[in-house]
Amino acid sequence: MSPSGVTEQKRRLRARSEQVLRMAAMDDVARRYPRRTVPSALSDEGPFWRFVFVPLYRRVPWEFKARAMRKLKMTAQGWPEQSRRFGEPWRPPAPSASRSDPE
Amino acid sequence: MSERLIVIGGGGAGTAASTIAKRANPDMRVGVFSEFPDIAYSPCGIPYAHGREIPEFQNLFLSTVQRYVEDGLEMHMETTVTDIDLDRRTVTARNKHEGFDKLILCTGFHWEQPAVPGANLEGLHYVKDIRRAMEFDKELDSMKRAVVIGGMWLGVEMSGALARRGLEVQFIDEGPWLLSELVDPDVAEPAQEALEKLGVNVRMGTKLLGFEGGAGGRVRAVSTSGGELECDVAVICLHKLPNTSLAESIGLSLGTTGAVVVDDHMRTSAPGVWAAGDVVEVPHGLSMLPITGLTGSHAYSQGRVAGANAAGEDRVYDPVWIPWGFMSGDYTIGGFSIGETLAEAMGIPYVVAKGVGVSRARYFPGAARTHVKLLAEPGTLRLIGAQLHGGEGIKERCDFLAFVGKRGATLEDLAWMENIYSPPIGALYEPIQIAAQNGLAEQRAREREAVPA
Repeated sequence: MSPSGVTEQKRRLRARSEQVLRMAAMDDVARRYPRRTVPSALSDEGPFWRFVFVPLYRRVPWEFKARAMRKLKMTAQGWPEQSRRFGEPWRPPAPSASRSDPE
Repeated sequence: MSERLIVIGGGGAGTAASTIAKRANPDMRVGVFSEFPDIAYSPCGIPYAHGREIPEFQNLFLSTVQRYVEDGLEMHMETTVTDIDLDRRTVTARNKHEGFDKLILCTGFHWEQPAVPGANLEGLHYVKDIRRAMEFDKELDSMKRAVVIGGMWLGVEMSGALARRGLEVQFIDEGPWLLSELVDPDVAEPAQEALEKLGVNVRMGTKLLGFEGGAGGRVRAVSTSGGELECDVAVICLHKLPNTSLAESIGLSLGTTGAVVVDDHMRTSAPGVWAAGDVVEVPHGLSMLPITGLTGSHAYSQGRVAGANAAGEDRVYDPVWIPWGFMSGDYTIGGFSIGETLAEAMGIPYVVAKGVGVSRARYFPGAARTHVKLLAEPGTLRLIGAQLHGGEGIKERCDFLAFVGKRGATLEDLAWMENIYSPPIGALYEPIQIAAQNGLAEQRAREREAVPA
């Protein structure tokens, strides 16, 4: 697959996973506010996503997912680390990234 | 010979990039290429001009092309760049090659189009170019019925504006509540009520099935899961998609959002090429995941950083915490970062702190209820998001919360913050404090329950 094909596949995968996670979250939040919501008409992405992907994703704690996303380079590259990771006490922001200018 | 910078795009990012580059390095030759005839106008004001809250479209123009020329910029208006050659350092426009040393891409976005039958009919309107908006505004005088499609902020603004203009407006969206991709149901409810008060018929949970054509190939109705809705115009307000065709043609790296990857200096993967605005993705400060399709103020700030760096400065753009806010009818909603729905979707644990206060002393005429919902990390109680609704002061509170959230403030900090008390402009007890105090009280109650007697 060409590099642009890989990029497109990654984009689609992310869009689809976000869509199913958002839909599942909307269902849960709607149950908390039943008076204020109606049944969604958003397209279902299929049983795999709803019954396998969503429950699996939810079983993994956020700290682990965040670490995995960093390791797999799903987070933004070329940016300084967050001033503080999830759950850490606050500290001053790190100085700007000292990358050499590519020019 | 002085260096030449070419900026492609004349929107918020392109305008800021070119102006700042020239200011930072007056010897640099700066050329701007835009496919449109106008520059420095406010596209965000377009719905309000349709609704006549802004009396004239001319009020949206903040400057002229001539003014930029007088400031020393080479302005190439209505000139589409069709090709870039990175090896020869040239762009091609109108079959003419123009050389550059440095390049900033600010090619913006296009609107997502609905993938349904009839999406190519006449009478489907997308809000973007001001000239088209001015033509559309004249057509509105002879229209009676509009269907607005899509539950993003622009759809809400356009629905309110067209209702103010006297049109019969149907608003449709597939989501289970208004703005369900952005806000939680408790914040959506008053926003929806405010739209309905203007006469908008809000149809949530309604799927778009297609557009029905009439005379001359013009849309006459919108087909939905809730039936057919007759209309004179359909206004489409779906997602913003980055315009990356030029970026792709020169092999710039694209990210998982489909937008151009940049670093914290707005540098792309190609040496000497920067990018800014709706064509790029930048990290969310909480998760560091790249996101795109942000606001005009983000585009403007990114353009300033790209322009300064292209001119030889060393400016850093921070990950974003996205303060946002807008009017739904006469009601204001806003927030920053994430709400309950997005936190649930991402699987980010959170505790909620809610409170209701007033925008000025409660005895002072015009005092409005201000609803505040704060999201914080369990344990540390660090602020990770907020959603607010009410009247005056929502925007300022969202800006403030985004800033202190970025700097790591906790519910404890907010519960004991200082605030201005002056009857016409602020109440004794700040609504943010009330929410944070309530959150702390609930935390203490939970902790007491958790300790065995």
